[in-house]
Amino acid sequence: MKTYTRPMGAWWTRNPYYLWYMLREASCVFITVYALILLVGLFRLSQGKAPYERWLEGLASPLSLLFHALALVLVLYHSWTWFKVMPKTLPFVRIGAWRVPDRAIVVTGVCAAVACTVLIVLLAATT
Amino acid sequence: MRKIEIQCLRYHPVTDAAPRWQTYEVPFTDDMSVLQGLQHVKDHLDGSLTFRWSCRMAICGSCGMMVNGEPKLSCETFLRDLYPGPVRVEALNHFPIVRDLVIEQSDFLEKLESVKPYLIAEEASPGKTFLQTPRQMEDYYQYSKCINCLLCYAACPQYGLNDKFTGPAALALLHRYNADSRDAGKAERMELVNAEDGVWGCTLVGYCSEVCPKEVDPARAINQNKINSTKDYFLRFFKK
Amino acid sequence: MQVVQADIVVVGGGGAGLRAAIAAAERAPKLKVALVSKVVPMRSHTVAAEGGAAGVTRGEDSLEQHFNDTVSGGDWLCDQDAVDYFVAHCTEELVRLENWGCPWSRKPDGHVNTRFFGGMSVQRTWFAADRSGFHMLHTLFQTSLRYPSIMRYDEFFCAELVVEDGQVRGVLAIEVASGEVFLFETGSVVLATGGAGRVFRQNTNAGTVTGDGMGLAFRAGAPLRDMEFVQWHPTCLPGSGILMTEACRGEGAILVNKDGYRYLQDYGLGPVDPWPRVKAMELGPRDRLSQAFWHEERKGRTIRTPQGPAVHLDLRHLGAKKIHERLPLITEAAKTFAGVDAVKEPIPVCPAVHYTMGGVYTNLRCATPLGGLFAAGECASVGIHGANRLGSNSLVEIVVFGKAAGESAADHARSSHSKGADLRKRAEQAERSLAALLDNPAGERLAVLRDEMRDSMEAGVGIYRDDAGLRATCAKLAALRERYRRGVKLDDRSRAFNSEWLSALELGFMLEVAEAMAHGALARRESRGAHMRLDFAGRDDARFLQHALAHHGGAGAPRIEHRPVNITRSPPKARHYGGEGKQAVLS
Repeated sequence: MKTYTRPMGAWWTRNPYYLWYMLREASCVFITVYALILLVGLFRLSQGKAPYERWLEGLASPLSLLFHALALVLVLYHSWTWFKVMPKTLPFVRIGAWRVPDRAIVVTGVCAAVACTVLIVLLAATT
Repeated sequence: MRKIEIQCLRYHPVTDAAPRWQTYEVPFTDDMSVLQGLQHVKDHLDGSLTFRWSCRMAICGSCGMMVNGEPKLSCETFLRDLYPGPVRVEALNHFPIVRDLVIEQSDFLEKLESVKPYLIAEEASPGKTFLQTPRQMEDYYQYSKCINCLLCYAACPQYGLNDKFTGPAALALLHRYNADSRDAGKAERMELVNAEDGVWGCTLVGYCSEVCPKEVDPARAINQNKINSTKDYFLRFFKK
Repeated sequence: MQVVQADIVVVGGGGAGLRAAIAAAERAPKLKVALVSKVVPMRSHTVAAEGGAAGVTRGEDSLEQHFNDTVSGGDWLCDQDAVDYFVAHCTEELVRLENWGCPWSRKPDGHVNTRFFGGMSVQRTWFAADRSGFHMLHTLFQTSLRYPSIMRYDEFFCAELVVEDGQVRGVLAIEVASGEVFLFETGSVVLATGGAGRVFRQNTNAGTVTGDGMGLAFRAGAPLRDMEFVQWHPTCLPGSGILMTEACRGEGAILVNKDGYRYLQDYGLGPVDPWPRVKAMELGPRDRLSQAFWHEERKGRTIRTPQGPAVHLDLRHLGAKKIHERLPLITEAAKTFAGVDAVKEPIPVCPAVHYTMGGVYTNLRCATPLGGLFAAGECASVGIHGANRLGSNSLVEIVVFGKAAGESAADHARSSHSKGADLRKRAEQAERSLAALLDNPAGERLAVLRDEMRDSMEAGVGIYRDDAGLRATCAKLAALRERYRRGVKLDDRSRAFNSEWLSALELGFMLEVAEAMAHGALARRESRGAHMRLDFAGRDDARFLQHALAHHGGAGAPRIEHRPVNITRSPPKARHYGGEGKQAVLS
């Protein structure tokens, strides 16, 4: 029988759920670029004080600031989605007979991430 | 009685080259579902409108369709919530259309069969049941609630892009048996789990679990098995 | 015309059909079993059954008690040899289902749990949450995939049985997707097509429950038995008829009228305390509970809802934990379809047609009087339910007799070697008349005839019946059959997936099955079980301790004859429910 197959086309535009998913995936691009910038910085550090200072100055440029602001937002979004999806990658977590609800796992993860962030910021600020 | 417009994507395999929209005006009461709206059309306006349905209580899985772009069971989607409309109804996404709102489901049935969805176990003592505590049942029970409605396949873009992907419901059913304490067939099902189109075809979009009307959570069933698959991959070097 | 050769054809892919196919495959693995169903098997109506399946398990229980509960539940119209066979095989089938993976609910120690059910004196109902039918069906379907000799023909609509010289020779079926007619050549057919509740307006049934198998057998010359016995399930959502399982009452729920009064105590099911108590109050049998509602409505004590009169099913005292654990599906359904939170509010319920006790007459081994034709499940009348079925006897019936039918069919297929005559000519003739339905230039709309049938059945063949009402319905059905014969005009004239065409065929079956029900009810001038006559109150064992057999009357009305019931060791007594007794401890 002659069935009709509908084309996928720009499927991600047809449902907000898919748009948010694509944004999550796209955030990886920004995270990769950010990681590369850090690697460059590390390399410049190994080359000496002057190259490193020049790299730091480059970071202060408007384009760089814009990129980093965007990257921060996307990393936060990515982290949030990562934690939201974390329970789905784990078998049921139990404490004795009680099954820990997914929400508790997400909240624990987010709190741990926030705590680490605060700790690192404090360390960075005081040293 | 209030009226609401229902737009249906029509298609006839013999007379149509491509699907087309047709609009119906349906009088409705507050307790009417989209399915009942479609039944009104079929009974009184246009008997050629074709759709699957059976139990009317969201347990048989027949009436899945796209309602305003989301995969839904038409028997538990209510016109009062979609008012003033119009309501756009089309066949479930990612499946070929046989006619109007009816999809070709044989691909799913093949996938279902391929996961060996039965208890592979030692013989039980004659006349005796296996023992299974409520806690052991909890490990697999939610995955056994799948009504095979295919909303998850309509939600999954990976299946839409590649119909060789085993897909959410089939993989959830596979996990249901693997996680059943009475089953001993994990090894037999591993090959399917490990395949490119097995659990690795999933990129955790997660929309499948969102749309599942029975809270089966196929995304979890699949992604838990990524760990199992990885373990199996590395441990095989030690198995020999 | 496409021809398929099969050793056995099973018509219907629900619980009974799947069990029969598996049994045939196990009995004779070399035989080809064609499983032909008008829907993909997991859509079959078995999927909607909720409460559970009965099987003697507990130490304090016995086959004798299950036998007695069933025979008295059926108001002594049961064939007691069939009931003996039935109760002796229930538990082993339920164990087999468990071994196949069915997730029966468990006690903390890992053994299968059982609960109380209406009319049962001991806890013997195995249950899988409140989705027992769903789990049984999926277990059976998934298990059936292991047998390579079972070939499935999904979405094939069986339209006619080909019978010659009293022997089954084949089945004509329409491949739904293409509209092509197929001839299945076979000497063994098992009908497992379910009930016929859709002939009534308010019912719990799926759209597929249209008595197709009963109609097929009836037209082919097999009699239908005890068709007047139709079960109203007392607790269904008004309007839609969606089922609120008896298991609610098995867990301790109560029924109250508009004054908050537990009215069942007025109908011989009391006293109220202690509660819960077996076979008393809300744990009485379904026919008595539905009849009580009818009386309450006449007295003006029911609650008015937009969908009609109702009473309240109150679960609140069970507590949220128990409700969510034992009754998750109905909690969902009450919320979705009635907007009621069962934990906080009572659920409005009323009786709706649920089960057809009658069906294709078979013996203990599921054989009908036609050679090679077998039947099992709700479409059959093997004699275990009599005048009223007890809850949880049906889900286990389908596996006990599904197995028996599959084995009988396999044995028959192996032993009969006669080569059938060339059926092709007959098949082509049938195909022409099926196709003719598509081409009527004028006629009435399907929905008009169908709705008139349902309204008439509801009015004349309802919970309480009388001579005038029954005669009116019989006349109406004859008129409707005539109008149907004159022509139904379909909007859909094409062949590919023409569900309107199939609905027309279903209507044809329904009209004939409804006639058998109405005429059977007219001929039975007594009240017994689910068949209540306002003009003949009380049982008349002297004249009507008999089965009613309906024979197809061609274009005319069916002929009803009466035959004795097989009473072996339990002579008819008064049915006793309610009364004093010990408190039932619900686990």
